[in-house]
Amino acid sequence: MLGNLKKGEKGKILNISGIDQLVRRRLLDMGITEGTEVCMKCLMPFGGPVMIETCGQCVAIRRKEAVQIEVERL
Amino acid sequence: MDIALIGNPNTGKTSLFNNLTGSYEYVGNWSGVTVEKKIGKFKNNRAILIDLPGIYSLNPLSKDEGVVTQFLLTESVDKMLNILDASQLERNLHLTIQLLEYGKPAIIGLNMMDVALKRGIKIDPEKLAKILGVPVAPVVARTGKGCKNLEEVVTNGAAPLPNDKLVDYGQEINEAVKELSDLLGEKAKHSVRWLALQLFEGNQYVKRYLAGLLGADALDSFIHSVKSIILNKYNLPLDQYIFRQRKEMIEKIVLDAAQRSDQAKVPLTEKVDAIVTNKFLGLPIFFLLMYLMFMLTFDWLGFPLSDLLDGFITGTLANGVDSLLTAAGASAFIHSLILDGIIGGVGGVLVFVPQIFILFFFISLLEDSGYMARVALVMDRLMESVGLNGKAFIPMIIGFGCNVPGIMAARTIETPKERLLTILLTPLMSCSARLPVYALFVGAFFAGSKAFVVLSIYILGIAVALILAKVFSSTVLKGETSLFVIELPPYRLPQFRALSRSTWDKGKGFIKKAGTFIFAGSVFIWLLSYTGPDGVNVNMDNSFLAYIGGFLAPLFKPLGFDTWQAGASLITGFLAKEAIISTMNIIYFVPDEASLQGLLANYYTPLSAYSFMVFILLYIPCLATTATIYKETRSKKWTVFSIGYALAIAYVLALVIYQGGRLIGFH
Repeated sequence: MLGNLKKGEKGKILNISGIDQLVRRRLLDMGITEGTEVCMKCLMPFGGPVMIETCGQCVAIRRKEAVQIEVERL
Repeated sequence: MDIALIGNPNTGKTSLFNNLTGSYEYVGNWSGVTVEKKIGKFKNNRAILIDLPGIYSLNPLSKDEGVVTQFLLTESVDKMLNILDASQLERNLHLTIQLLEYGKPAIIGLNMMDVALKRGIKIDPEKLAKILGVPVAPVVARTGKGCKNLEEVVTNGAAPLPNDKLVDYGQEINEAVKELSDLLGEKAKHSVRWLALQLFEGNQYVKRYLAGLLGADALDSFIHSVKSIILNKYNLPLDQYIFRQRKEMIEKIVLDAAQRSDQAKVPLTEKVDAIVTNKFLGLPIFFLLMYLMFMLTFDWLGFPLSDLLDGFITGTLANGVDSLLTAAGASAFIHSLILDGIIGGVGGVLVFVPQIFILFFFISLLEDSGYMARVALVMDRLMESVGLNGKAFIPMIIGFGCNVPGIMAARTIETPKERLLTILLTPLMSCSARLPVYALFVGAFFAGSKAFVVLSIYILGIAVALILAKVFSSTVLKGETSLFVIELPPYRLPQFRALSRSTWDKGKGFIKKAGTFIFAGSVFIWLLSYTGPDGVNVNMDNSFLAYIGGFLAPLFKPLGFDTWQAGASLITGFLAKEAIISTMNIIYFVPDEASLQGLLANYYTPLSAYSFMVFILLYIPCLATTATIYKETRSKKWTVFSIGYALAIAYVLALVIYQGGRLIGFH
């Protein structure tokens, strides 16, 4: 799961259908969907949001969504 | 010629707008959506440029994004200028293709080629232009390089129609477009193909527009049939099918027009981010920045500048006007009106211009540098625990400048509940118009710890807002999930020109208000204080103003300030918070700020002064804010609620502070 990646680790998104539809739409807008490679940039403390990077752009989502995105570690 | 400027967020749209246009203005309220649009004239005076909110797609998620779709549906536009971020070409092209499908002439400004090059992407603008069928002009929006050429291309009369059938969505969709076209007949004013594709993607604005033409039932059965055809054949929901077709085409375009090489460098942004969004340092750094901002505004820089201005207005200017009036033989009435009413009232507000501009400068700096999005990231965990998301913190910070744009900035929040909550709570952020009141009172009572006391007021505002967010989201605004996705744009070194422009944009309203609203108010208040039941030029304690203020005063006795003067200034404070200071200047009838501060010591103790400041912080949104809350919520109920809860919480808190403070021995 994306939420389990450690800082600096990379992964490829396998399945994103588990998360809230609005979040999924917004991620799609930013070009993040199945097949996208992402890199974990930072995890905020106390279960706060995570920052991921893909193709040079950074996006933040909540931890609870990140743990529902299936990734394959690269 | 009207040209609409459209592009993804964080692509340099505002910089481009600033570079292409000389002068510009805000025009309020245009059809359907109540929002301000920013329009500017091209430097060569040949066309008008309309700035629209940044969007990822024409299919909107937030109200802010809906503005663009609404604009395309209802306004007539001659051309569209689409700005692209070359380093994020694929993502940006989704919007471009939707715009081309709209069928109006379009021009593409290709920005950030340098960033793309650094990431190993080389784009051929000519190839891109050939594929898309529209002119593509490379620009560097931040420095203005290439803008001259772009301006020529854009304002040049003839522009070819774009290739609006770039993406082939397949036989089924083509037939569906034909069917919709037959249904609409002559009724549609826009490209039917565009309307159909937007409808299929789930664009609610287009759906409403079409339902108005065809009737909701006919439209629903049409969509339903298309949905089932696509689902049967491709095993995909309709919206995802459309998206996939477009994405495949975009991949081909990018392959054709761009070359990739691997030469990854660690950009500066990532180095900075490693520090400011650090697990442990993130919050402390944010608070440190806020602290610096307040020290500069209130202590190190702002106060000395305001003092200088105060010296000028109450000294040189007042004396000059005084001797001029005496020389002209003006009557005592005119004399008093101008010196006590206008110079006292308006001047008393104008002396705070330096502090307010410093504050606005910092807010612009936060916005322009890209740090604002990091604030949202850092604050999200805290905001989530009270039922909001990190993005709601941005309207609140903007609210420190002025609540009105703060409330409007809440449009970027996707879920209606969180947006409403943010609108209701932003007025608790201490806006710059409240600043003069604090400045006056801390100068009189807390001279040794000015910035600290003011900071405590600001933090109190945030704390109350967070607590109320928790209360409201678990009572009156229950339900609905909270949502947080935010793009973190790369850091950009703010440019002085852009910074000064946006500081001036925000600050000029304050000066304008002083010249109009506060001016008229000051004259009116002075008149009320000059006249009374016994005639004119009465002792002020027997004036109409004293009677009005005195009527309210007993209510405030438990809070520590039961003078008629306090009551009167609180009433005028509803019109505009600066009016509190104007009113006090007129009422206490003193030549300058320093003597007003001396005089205040007769009426307030430090404790009651603090209680008064807390009351001012919370008690009511000003008239302009109330009107904005109504415009944004379109609900009388929530507007009344926003006033009601504020009054209640202000009274209770000021009471607790005053009475509690007395119990533990303060006075």
